[in-house]
Amino acid sequence: MRLILEVWRQESPDAEGSFETHEVLDATPEMSLLELLDRLNHQLVDNDQEPVAFESDCREGICGTCGLDVNGVPHGPEDNVPACGQHVRSFADGQTVRFTPFRAKSFPVIRDLIVDRTGLDRIIQAGGTIAVDAGTAPDADTLLVTHDDAERALDFAACIGCGACVSACPNGAAYLFTGAKLAHLALIPHGKQERAKRARSMIAQMQHEFGPCSQIGECALACPAEIPLVAIAAVNRERLRAGFKWRKAN
Amino acid sequence: MSSGIQERSDVDQIPVAKRPATSPPPRPQTWLLKVIMAATGSVFIMFLLFHLAGNLKVYLPDDPQGHFNEYAHWLRGLLNPLLPGSTFLWIFRGTLVACLILHVYSGLTLWIRAHRLRGRHPRKVHATKHHLIGRTMLWSGLIILTFIVFHLLDLTIGRVVESKQFSTAPTYTLTHGATTTEVTDAYANLIHSFERWPVAAFYVLVMVVIAFHLSHGIWSIANDFGATAHRVRSLILLLADIVALVVVIGNASIPLAVLAGVIA
Ligand code: HEM
Ligand code: SF4
Ligand code: FES
Repeated sequence: MRLILEVWRQESPDAEGSFETHEVLDATPEMSLLELLDRLNHQLVDNDQEPVAFESDCREGICGTCGLDVNGVPHGPEDNVPACGQHVRSFADGQTVRFTPFRAKSFPVIRDLIVDRTGLDRIIQAGGTIAVDAGTAPDADTLLVTHDDAERALDFAACIGCGACVSACPNGAAYLFTGAKLAHLALIPHGKQERAKRARSMIAQMQHEFGPCSQIGECALACPAEIPLVAIAAVNRERLRAGFKWRKAN
Repeated sequence: MSSGIQERSDVDQIPVAKRPATSPPPRPQTWLLKVIMAATGSVFIMFLLFHLAGNLKVYLPDDPQGHFNEYAHWLRGLLNPLLPGSTFLWIFRGTLVACLILHVYSGLTLWIRAHRLRGRHPRKVHATKHHLIGRTMLWSGLIILTFIVFHLLDLTIGRVVESKQFSTAPTYTLTHGATTTEVTDAYANLIHSFERWPVAAFYVLVMVVIAFHLSHGIWSIANDFGATAHRVRSLILLLADIVALVVVIGNASIPLAVLAGVIA
């Protein structure tokens, strides 16, 4: 397959940046989008050119590293699939495929297709962890969690922190990401201890760098972990709940 | 034993993107502005439904004029004698104006924040209903704001855009058994205004815009008030479209009925 790749090249955070066009003649339908970029990079290195900088790690949809926009869509044309799991077969022979870094003011470009997503880390640092002494493993059946709650908590815990929801959002909001963590920890016994405190601090941090939610729903269509859209409502639910608790941590 | 990281001499040279400034979080906080949008939006919806119920009196089979004028008159004297004169009406108007100021202020602030934080590359979007309507809330809102001004000038104050026959003089006589009261002929003002077709068309158009604003707005309210239960969310999604339809059909039919000569 022949594909024309338009790739965003940006030397450094302060550089202007522009598109570079390359042709890949030996793409195959079963290649992943990252393998397509690998192929391009081999070609570039063979011609003594600088390879395109992009991120990846697990290449099996669990690490959340491979964030980039393909033809203006986070991760690529398929909904709810990470870039490493999307394939060249989505494109027609001879088609132009445009690679851009994740789009959001809160994700400044470091180089080419690599953006700085530490804004999401700062939200987690603000309280997306459990800081109570959990002691040693309790006896079976002393901490009861219903099966439904456990399942729902796991669904929300599935977020891989890729940042596609922010890039998909026309407002650059991180509600799906933050809401997933808040909803996840609100459902399990250890998480409930600091529930109100967590909501206040994580949401304050989120607002600090990311935009407001307008309930548009692009995030849930992009999310490779299929975090359900209800996570955006969990943000305000947790914050309103915390508001009624005044100073209490839980 | 040395770790891998310490051995790397180029660590300092790895480019670091510019971080957003660590200023305090924006005030008023984003989540709070959204709650204000939802609360004031809810007040408007209750008002719209209340207003609609009054407007629909024009369709009453016998003496719509009398019923409509009586309703307008009743509104002015509501909660008498507990509150004197039109005190209630003024509290009611004050609340609505306060809500409007809060709603517009929050909407603009959120819009500005959202636009500052989106990135540079264009985005290909899913053409979902909530995308198309949700992203034009500010524009539909501004059309509604223009309409509110027009509507007050046209039928309440009677300046600039009112019909030639507009009058607030107590020319209509309400009869209750032996007692009669002279009141404003609000019904006649309404009919005269809608007999001008461009005005009627404007009203109809704005009702459609309001319906769009509402169908996304009610869905937003559910999220902003933190409704996470699946059944509640599905119900509200449905309710959003029903309320929007009721408002558009109920209100927009009136100018159309006047133009068609069904009510006169
Ligand atoms: C009849 C009058 C109006 C009604 C019934 C109404 C209703 C609503 C409702 C229910 C929402 C959802 C609120 C939320 O939970 O986020 C909303 C959002 C919005 N309204 Fe209004 N509104 C009215 C007038 C206006 C006006 C005059 C403006 C002028 C700027 C406006 C601008 C907006 C904007 C920008 C949003 C979206 C906020 C966001 O993106 O989160 N609205 N409206
Ligand atoms: S919520 Fe989904 S899209 Fe957002 S960071 Fe987590 S996995 Fe990625
Ligand atoms: S490389 Fe790990 S999710 Fe794609």
